[in-house]
Amino acid sequence: MEHYDAVVIGAGNAGLTAGAALAQGDAKVLVLERHNIPGGCATSFCRGRFEFEVALHQLSGVGTPEKPGPLRMTLDQLGVMDQLDFMPMSDLYHVIIPGKLDILLEPDRARATATLQRHFPAEADNIEAFIDLVYKVFGEVIGAFYFKDPEVHPDKYPLYFQYGLKPLQAVLDQHFRDPLLKTALTPYWTYMGLPPSRLSFIDMAAMLFAYIEFLPYHLKGGSQALSNALASRIVACGGKVRYSCPVEKILVENGRVAGVRTADGETIQTGQVVSNASKIATYIDMLEPDQVPEAVWGEMKRTSIGPSAFTLYLGLDQPPEALGISSSTNFILGHTDADAVYDQMKNLEIDHRDGMMMTCYTLIDPGFSPPGTSQVALITLKFGDAWLQVPPAQYAAEKYRLADAMLQKAEEVFPGLRDHIEEMEIATPITHMRYLDTPRGAIYGFEKHIKDSPVFLPNRAHIDGLFLAGGWAGPNGFQPTLEAGFKTGRAVLRRLGK
Amino acid sequence: MKPEIAAQLEGYQDMLQLAQAAEILGEDFRTEKGAVATYLERLHPARLSLRVSRIRTETPSTKTFRMVPVDGVLPPFQAGQYVSLHVEIDGIRTNRPLSIASPPTQSGYYDLTVKRVPGGLVSNYLLDNLQAGDRLVSSGPDGCFVYNPLLHGNRLVFIAGGSGITPFMSMIRETCDRGLDRQITLIYGNRSEDDVIYHAALTGLAEAHPNFTYVPVIEKPGPGYTGETGFMTGELMERVTGDLSGAMVYLCGPSAMYDFCLGELQARQVLARRIRREMFGPPVHVSQCPGWPADISEDQSFAVSIVGGPVVTARAGTPLLTTFEQAGLAPPSQCRSGECSLCRTRVLKGRVFQPAGVPLRQSDREQGYVHCCVSYPLEDLEVLIEAKG
Ligand SMILES: Cc1cc2nc3c(=O)[nH]c(=O)nc-3n(C[C@H](O)[C@H](O)[C@H](O)COP(=O)(O)OP(=O)(O)OC[C@H]3O[C@@H](n4cnc5c(N)ncnc54)[C@H](O)[C@@H]3O)c2cc1C
Ligand code: FES
Repeated sequence: MEHYDAVVIGAGNAGLTAGAALAQGDAKVLVLERHNIPGGCATSFCRGRFEFEVALHQLSGVGTPEKPGPLRMTLDQLGVMDQLDFMPMSDLYHVIIPGKLDILLEPDRARATATLQRHFPAEADNIEAFIDLVYKVFGEVIGAFYFKDPEVHPDKYPLYFQYGLKPLQAVLDQHFRDPLLKTALTPYWTYMGLPPSRLSFIDMAAMLFAYIEFLPYHLKGGSQALSNALASRIVACGGKVRYSCPVEKILVENGRVAGVRTADGETIQTGQVVSNASKIATYIDMLEPDQVPEAVWGEMKRTSIGPSAFTLYLGLDQPPEALGISSSTNFILGHTDADAVYDQMKNLEIDHRDGMMMTCYTLIDPGFSPPGTSQVALITLKFGDAWLQVPPAQYAAEKYRLADAMLQKAEEVFPGLRDHIEEMEIATPITHMRYLDTPRGAIYGFEKHIKDSPVFLPNRAHIDGLFLAGGWAGPNGFQPTLEAGFKTGRAVLRRLGK
Repeated sequence: MKPEIAAQLEGYQDMLQLAQAAEILGEDFRTEKGAVATYLERLHPARLSLRVSRIRTETPSTKTFRMVPVDGVLPPFQAGQYVSLHVEIDGIRTNRPLSIASPPTQSGYYDLTVKRVPGGLVSNYLLDNLQAGDRLVSSGPDGCFVYNPLLHGNRLVFIAGGSGITPFMSMIRETCDRGLDRQITLIYGNRSEDDVIYHAALTGLAEAHPNFTYVPVIEKPGPGYTGETGFMTGELMERVTGDLSGAMVYLCGPSAMYDFCLGELQARQVLARRIRREMFGPPVHVSQCPGWPADISEDQSFAVSIVGGPVVTARAGTPLLTTFEQAGLAPPSQCRSGECSLCRTRVLKGRVFQPAGVPLRQSDREQGYVHCCVSYPLEDLEVLIEAKG
């Protein structure tokens, strides 16, 4: 029987950095992935002459070599930086409500502030004050948590204690009058899947800070290049990665992890398992109920499953300029009511109520689609529940019907788009469920409502030797999951005495 | 942060209460056990258990196997999709993609039509051995060679060669069965009259449905034949369809047909986005593909050393996947045309030939990953297989 120091279930972002940290630290590690390629969400696929990026829109936390962000430092420690070609994006985002709002922000504090002030002169001071608060609060967060201050206290970190659990909406209302301005400042809520009324101000501050200070990035070859580099690093350090190999069971003996069993019936012995699979699959499908401490069920009951997405991947036979596409990251909204957008995420239909994001990858990396073409992703968040009620025989027809609705929305801003589509792939919540094996196709794990903050719900290990890492066990997104996996890998190394 | 410190956060008590209430009122995810697998099993099952219910001889070289589910129901599919049929022949486990020829409106069975490939392993095995009642396993339906109602419009030109008729048969039957508003012209090329599959059925459908036109083309017809002859040229396409501009052209057949027909279409300014082609298996003679090195013959052999496994002998003209299958070490595979990427394998040392147009991710290419179903050794290799079939 094979024996490993540690087994990682799933080669998503966190599984890969955990595996790489372990392999690099001289642990004998095996990564098991059910799909045939590493990455999980961080992947790409080909259709015709196009390669489509699945999930990466803007990579946060990279920074420059002179002013490295936390993600750059992590990837540097994992020895993969030299294999990656990072490209800073010139736009923070372009936010559009047709006929009402059209603002392009750059990832630069002073310039972004000035642009907003130009559009909303009456609230110039409020804008300054809000951005200032974002920076100050986040500065405190860095001091308290990133540098692990042993003495976190209200006297030392007053803003954190005042704003740490505040809903974003409350802070917006406190600063601004114009709903258009509130919308212009917060389209990134869709990266978390929760509208300002439910999202904590701190989470938005973290995103704005990370993207403005460390710039949004993309990489050559898309997120698959990162996944491939990490997988290859694991192998180069003596670890093993096995694809098309789902784990069916985590084996537990006397309350301790003893190994895993794969779908083809093979048993692999190990004392340490890092699961990058969803928390629900890990505890409910891979373990027997009597192996799971009662506390886990309570913990999970506190949270709810987050949204999935409906995405159109388009390969167009014209360059972006010819299609009127001038910025890489576009949030296209119908109105300013984020709560209505959130309600609409539960609806199968796609119409004026939805918010939509459009990323044009060709504008970031002209080499990512063939010369004279463009690659575009249109995405709107949708909960998987409504899709699970579509009868299988109706599924394909529903896919096309809703893709049509999505294209209609996009054509309000980019007329003629439809006439240039060479390749189209439609991904629904069911598609995400199929490729990620997450309940209801959720792409951001559990919802990160303020009550679900680590203040109330730390990521604890409940079974000796079982670690969870990834978007279901902590904050979601590329940067957080990549960093979480790295930290988890190091924690396992410490347990192994390495 | 210690709880007594955290408690000093503004709003702490309110949020804590909310969290505690959710712990009582929230959803119990234990009811989710197996939910993902159960739903996907209905829509996208990984494996189907099939039984041959009926065998029909279509031509001297072709039979149709009607496959019914051993238990349960067949998943839905889109006309034009395929299943990959798994077989074990003389101890070698392999599979072959076969387009479903029956329409999606027929949910009781899949018709799989198999044409004999001279020297071919699986087609000969199926044609010579398969009996009604036999059981087989296949993949679920998959593939992108389907009608897109948002983009393709209602003037369709289907260009088929030999067994490449199968996906079209499904699309044509669906259009006729459901009375869809699509104007279809099928141009169907074969070597001789004997090779034409479904001739009677196609003729009948064309007579009954004014929106379907059937144009058989025979390369080397016998005496007395009066229809179209020779190759499927652009001139012929324009003549029988009236006008190619604005039409959506679908191609399915052997690779030599693509090389010829695509050239003809390009010469007539048909845009790339108005052409769809099915990746219909590896080339029969890879050395005839553009770019194959002149100094290497298909029968040359090379040593392929598999990391952690044996050194095997590989023929230049045989896809690496087949060599791996013979050694019992193949990764999983499905489309065998380079498209699905399931057979992704890493070449650590040595050169391989990959026909032009096979899709490969940019970062895979940079790291030496290939789709081994359409990769051919050009020298001794060292390969890393990271998946078990
Ligand atoms: C469409 C889309 C857009 C997104 N946009 C952005 C963005 O712009 N910026 C950003 O920061 N984030 C974005 N995200 C989120 C980001 O991709 C995820 O947060 C991140 O990739 C999650 O990483 P993870 O480590 O949790 O693993 P996941 O990506 O969830 O991967 C888990 C892996 O485990 C495997 N697995 C599951 N079960 C088993 C099993 N039983 N045995 C073996 N393997 C198993 C799965 O196949 C998968 O490969 C987006 C996601 C999607 C889908
Ligand atoms: S089997 Fe599909 S790419 Fe090789």
